[in-house]
Amino acid sequence: MAGYSNDHIASLVRPDQVHRDVYEDPDLFDLEMDRIFGRSWVYVGHESQVPEPGDFFCTRVGLQPVVMSRHSDGTVYVVYNRCAHRGVKVVNEECGNVGRFMCMYHGWTYDTNGDLDFVTQSEGYPDLEFDKLEHGMGRVARWESHHGFVFANLSPDGPGLREWLGENSDFLDDVAVSAPDGEVEVTGGVHRYLYHGNWKMQVENLIDMYHPAYSHESSSAKGGQQFSRREGDKGGIQFFEKRGKVKSMDGLGTHALPNGHTWQGGLPPVENMSEDHRAYVALLEEKHGPNRTREILIKKRHNVIFYPNMAMQELNPHIRVIRPLAVDRTEIFIYPVKLKGAPEKMFRDQLINLNRTHSPTSLVQTDDVEAFTRAQEGMMTSGNEWVLLARTGPQESLESGRIRTTGTSEEGMRNHYRAWLEYMCADRPE
Amino acid sequence: MTKNNRSGDNQSAFGELLFVREVEQFLFYEVGLLDDRRFEDWTDLFTEDGYYWAPAEINQPDPASGVSLFFDDVPMMRIRFARLRHPRVHSQIPPSRTSHSISNVTAKRSGTGDRVEVEARFQMLDYRPGHDQRAFGGKYEYVLSRGDGGRFRIASKKAVIINCDDVHLPVAVPF
Repeated sequence: MAGYSNDHIASLVRPDQVHRDVYEDPDLFDLEMDRIFGRSWVYVGHESQVPEPGDFFCTRVGLQPVVMSRHSDGTVYVVYNRCAHRGVKVVNEECGNVGRFMCMYHGWTYDTNGDLDFVTQSEGYPDLEFDKLEHGMGRVARWESHHGFVFANLSPDGPGLREWLGENSDFLDDVAVSAPDGEVEVTGGVHRYLYHGNWKMQVENLIDMYHPAYSHESSSAKGGQQFSRREGDKGGIQFFEKRGKVKSMDGLGTHALPNGHTWQGGLPPVENMSEDHRAYVALLEEKHGPNRTREILIKKRHNVIFYPNMAMQELNPHIRVIRPLAVDRTEIFIYPVKLKGAPEKMFRDQLINLNRTHSPTSLVQTDDVEAFTRAQEGMMTSGNEWVLLARTGPQESLESGRIRTTGTSEEGMRNHYRAWLEYMCADRPE
Repeated sequence: MTKNNRSGDNQSAFGELLFVREVEQFLFYEVGLLDDRRFEDWTDLFTEDGYYWAPAEINQPDPASGVSLFFDDVPMMRIRFARLRHPRVHSQIPPSRTSHSISNVTAKRSGTGDRVEVEARFQMLDYRPGHDQRAFGGKYEYVLSRGDGGRFRIASKKAVIINCDDVHLPVAVPF
């Protein structure tokens, strides 16, 4: 890893520009894995993915394999996926249920909280006193959950989850309360896609309301193909007004929060409610009364970034996990979020819409992936070292620390880079 | 066994051979339409309520149990292909080229004989200039019905590619 000074790193980010190296330099990528994914809270999974004792779910924090498991005592743990003995990855399936984890190499076993359970032929270690924690798989420094959304932090220092989430925790509250049972379940499989570009391109694209009319012209514009993104909506999103002029999406608004979190909103209410949707509203009204239900159904934020690795949308509710692989290679996993207690048909429609918008064969995100790939290639040129993030709109700073501005402003991306700099340049707490 | 019976057996075996051959010829024609980018003609092979499903998990029981690589009814196919004809479908400039091969075809009549259940193995090579060539392969399952003039129509098609749960780069042309 190159020994970049903080001054050098700071020189890569200007108020309205970033240097191409932040997307192209493999050494900076290694530093990001260490200093961002190693210091920030990172989304791991949802507790509903491990409902029973012994259930496990494997994922990564940055490049590091971890296991989220439900221990026999009912508690959820996040541990490194590594045998204490010779470093072998212990759990090799994405999810499942076990009584104990067993390393394939020499048969060491671990409890479902990662503690050392048994060392085979342990008489061969006469001088070693085995400790179930020290010789366990190793717990990550911290993990916490909010409404079942589990985040891990590899560093013992820094704010707790709720403080780090800030206003984003209100969004998770809103998602939970929009389920008639008051909680969500992550189920219904996963869409997985890959692109040959930097991980930050996906994060930035998610709050880029400037690109759709152009990138997604083939699936949205007049003359392009319209399809409804949501049950009850008549057609697709139209970005073009009658005389061929692009309609600005400024009205959506961009909201920049501390720690790089950013959200956009809102989501217009469903035009023509289906029978199932009416049944869903009735269930909410039964529980919360009509006034509160109206509030719940007004989605003021619909697209929320949990910087650095997760985003959620309330349109066909889903979680998007950004999984960096290399400086120019990123995996994206999309998990449907089921509103527990809502009519089953609503969830089925949600899955079908996600197939159209978020699968590897999608009519929409494939064009985003094309943009990321071409950006990764375009930035190889030395003719222009800088990427422009200068787009603005009327902007105000609120007391909460939130900045409110227009939908097509690039303030959200500038906000990401303010957080990026804080993580990347903070002194290492040793 | 009498001579007559043997000739009857031969006749039915011959009939069966012709039947499987007819099914195979239809499948070759069908995937050829995709490779020749005759997407609209391909869509017209489906019955009005026909669909094409590619699961995202190897043992996915049905399209309602989870997300799929795609699950297109005929209106969705038309939207998908109209998009591929759009002059600014950026992720398909330049477009992908594909080559489908089909083998191991088995076909059996069901019901009154108008319905045919088909299983086959397939491979699809996919190349988009500037990108690595990819190979997809797996199992096809069809339900065919006889339409006008006894011609086959596709009531349903399912493609389970062996790496359906892999992390995929974009896929534009169906398997």
